[in-house]
Amino acid sequence: MQLEIQGVSKQYSRSTWGLRDFTLGVQPGVLGLLGPNGAGKSTLMRIIATVTRPTEGQVKWNGEDILRAPDSLRAVLGYLPQDFGVYPHLNAVEFLEYLAALKGLDSVSARRRIDDLLTLVNLSDVRKRPLGGYSGGMKQRIGIAQALLNDPRVLIADEPTAGLDPEERVRFRNLLSELAGDRVVILSTHIVSDVEAVATDIAIVASGRLIAHTAPESLLRSIQGKTWEWIIPSAELPATRQRFVVTSIARRADGVQVRVIADSQPTQDAVAAVPTLEDAYLACLHAHRAGAAA
Amino acid sequence: MSGKASRARIVYHLARADFLERVRRYSFLVTLGFAVYLGYLGVTGQIFLNLGKYQAVYNAAYVGGFMSYVTTVFLTLAGFYIVKNTVERDQKTRVGQILAACSMKKLDYCAGKFVSNFAVLCVMVAVLAIAGVGMYFLHGDNSGFHPVPLLSTFVIFALPAMAFTAAIALLFETIPGLRSGFGNVAYFFIWNGILVLGAVAIFTKSAHPFLDLTGGFSLWSSMAAALTAKFPGAEVNSFALSIAGAPNATIGVFRWNGFTWNAVLILSRVFWLSIAFGFTFLSAAFFDRFEGTTARGSKDASEAAAAPRAVETTETTTIRPREHLSLAMLTRAKSRFRFGAVLVAEVRLMLKGQRWWWYIIAAGLTVASGAVVSREGRGILLAFAWIWPMLLWSSMGMRESRDQTSQILFSAPHPLARQLSAIWLAGFAVALLSGSGFGVRLLVGGDIRGLQAWFIGALFIPTFALALGVWSGGNKLFEILYVLLWYLGPMHSIAQLDFMSAAPLTAKTRYPMFYLALTGVLALAAVAGRKRQLQT
Repeated sequence: MQLEIQGVSKQYSRSTWGLRDFTLGVQPGVLGLLGPNGAGKSTLMRIIATVTRPTEGQVKWNGEDILRAPDSLRAVLGYLPQDFGVYPHLNAVEFLEYLAALKGLDSVSARRRIDDLLTLVNLSDVRKRPLGGYSGGMKQRIGIAQALLNDPRVLIADEPTAGLDPEERVRFRNLLSELAGDRVVILSTHIVSDVEAVATDIAIVASGRLIAHTAPESLLRSIQGKTWEWIIPSAELPATRQRFVVTSIARRADGVQVRVIADSQPTQDAVAAVPTLEDAYLACLHAHRAGAAA
Repeated sequence: MSGKASRARIVYHLARADFLERVRRYSFLVTLGFAVYLGYLGVTGQIFLNLGKYQAVYNAAYVGGFMSYVTTVFLTLAGFYIVKNTVERDQKTRVGQILAACSMKKLDYCAGKFVSNFAVLCVMVAVLAIAGVGMYFLHGDNSGFHPVPLLSTFVIFALPAMAFTAAIALLFETIPGLRSGFGNVAYFFIWNGILVLGAVAIFTKSAHPFLDLTGGFSLWSSMAAALTAKFPGAEVNSFALSIAGAPNATIGVFRWNGFTWNAVLILSRVFWLSIAFGFTFLSAAFFDRFEGTTARGSKDASEAAAAPRAVETTETTTIRPREHLSLAMLTRAKSRFRFGAVLVAEVRLMLKGQRWWWYIIAAGLTVASGAVVSREGRGILLAFAWIWPMLLWSSMGMRESRDQTSQILFSAPHPLARQLSAIWLAGFAVALLSGSGFGVRLLVGGDIRGLQAWFIGALFIPTFALALGVWSGGNKLFEILYVLLWYLGPMHSIAQLDFMSAAPLTAKTRYPMFYLALTGVLALAAVAGRKRQLQT
């Protein structure tokens, strides 16, 4: 079971590229796709989900080109788009029944699965209410339920936790961990903690290009011994930002606690800190931007 | 800055932003294209003012009067549909939610939107005025170009009519029952009523300029005065814009030097401007500040609009112990595709939200179109039976973009073969069922040719709707064209446009076969359009 993205580019206009020569192989597990806004994550998701055609390149599912034969992937695909709508006059059950029919599911088992999924996403109580009256978080949960309808082998979730409350977010992360075993799960987000919790692999995208593809542990190892913390007066914050890659700041009674990435100890007061995935991600982005500027 | 100046600034910026957003869209080019085409029809004589046995000299005043009349007649209809999307756009782009949270007054919002609507229509009027100047230089007499009589009729007649159109479009968008397809249909009949009122006024010679939105009555009475001055006892016995055909043979040519502007004439135009302002105030009273943004216009929608409060209660109760359900415990999904299930789902989606009385009326029309003794009467009832479900058909092919479900649906297997064909079949089933009374009667009477023509009508309607829905991404284009076609064809027995062969003689002509061929072309267009959407 493998998804291969080979030299994929997407050009929107003469000077605007969503993706440039993007190559990535995805194995079963959860791939966390990280990148800043506008990096090209959603474009990549839409291409893999067969709703957008790339300008160049190929996407293969188990060796079959999905641009030529998209239905081979669609049959096993669950897709949760970043921005999607629902039919406001249908209730949750009717909407999911409609999608189950389109996905070619047996109606009896689909009905039972819909019941289960609505319980899973905690919408059983409002199953008969028109979707037009759902809150943003509830619509997102309907989106999650529809993506899981056909028990997908490939699940693509684009910013899935947007609009979810903390409890639902944790539930969704657990769900993804459960799914990971023998499926390909691609989770696109800019919330590093979501990836940190579930990803078995990480791909970092910036300016439409793949800048890193590695295991989380390996990414963390890359900044081992390079994360530092110390307290500075507030007035020194702008200068510190200019000199170092600041990954976080916290106001304290005695000043500002800064956390930076640096190859060597920045000041006498700085103490080594345990690196997080967010530190590693920001360091990677910074290195890419510095390289691009040079 | 004073309060008034500040509010004026808000209105200005609302109108400016809305106008710029509109004119920077490709659809505005299509709009301008329509105005240019209308001007071209006038300049090339394909639209002409039929004055019966007499013809006016093509001087600057006549060209101005004629072109401004073309403008008011056509743009009060087309202009309405062109600008009736200003509030909807804010809703769709979700800018409305931001605006609603601002301190802006409802009246300021409506005033800004009215100004923007008006500005768009003014651009179209300007295009037609330029066409008028071009027409004068192409066909005008040698009396010299006089810009004032040519352009003044545009200012005095066209602009108040455009203000009225801009305001009524806004009003329709703010009244819940009129903002959807029903409003589109209703306005067509209102516009038609306005024209009929003008025609009655001319022939009874009893109208008041205050009832004359298009300026037709004023133009007629002024021209009639010029005619009788030259030919005492003569009458302008016809006064209509003709789109096709050749002018009648004339027995006399007269010169019309334009209006003698008087207080009554000016006040009658001020009256229509006042109506426009009144409608704008009324719009502000109806405008709900995007409260019902998510779903509108039906019983379900009102339930939906009421739901968020209840939803919040549900959300606050989510932190409670509940049964643990993992993915492994879910019912396994079994694949067994049945086209019937998709078709039933599409029919259900199409009919969702209809009230009981809708079905009663549909059933009544179906039965009546088969039961009435007179063939002509049954034809008229078939026309009504096939206009009643129009709003069901108008959502075909565009529902996915309207409700933003395209990404989910298009990533399901075989979106063309399964979903698109199911949508079409659902629409076809509605056409067959709603027209079945008429069809059964033809079958029982052994009128095979009539049955064939009726069947072609049932094929044509959903295909027409699907193609326009897929390509336009909206319901409006189908609703406008379908009503226009329905009104001119089946209702006025123009065989060329009688796509459903409602008139007894249409089935015996070659037109049903033309509509069969057109159905094939439209089906291909729908498939091509959907393929294009799948391959963006």
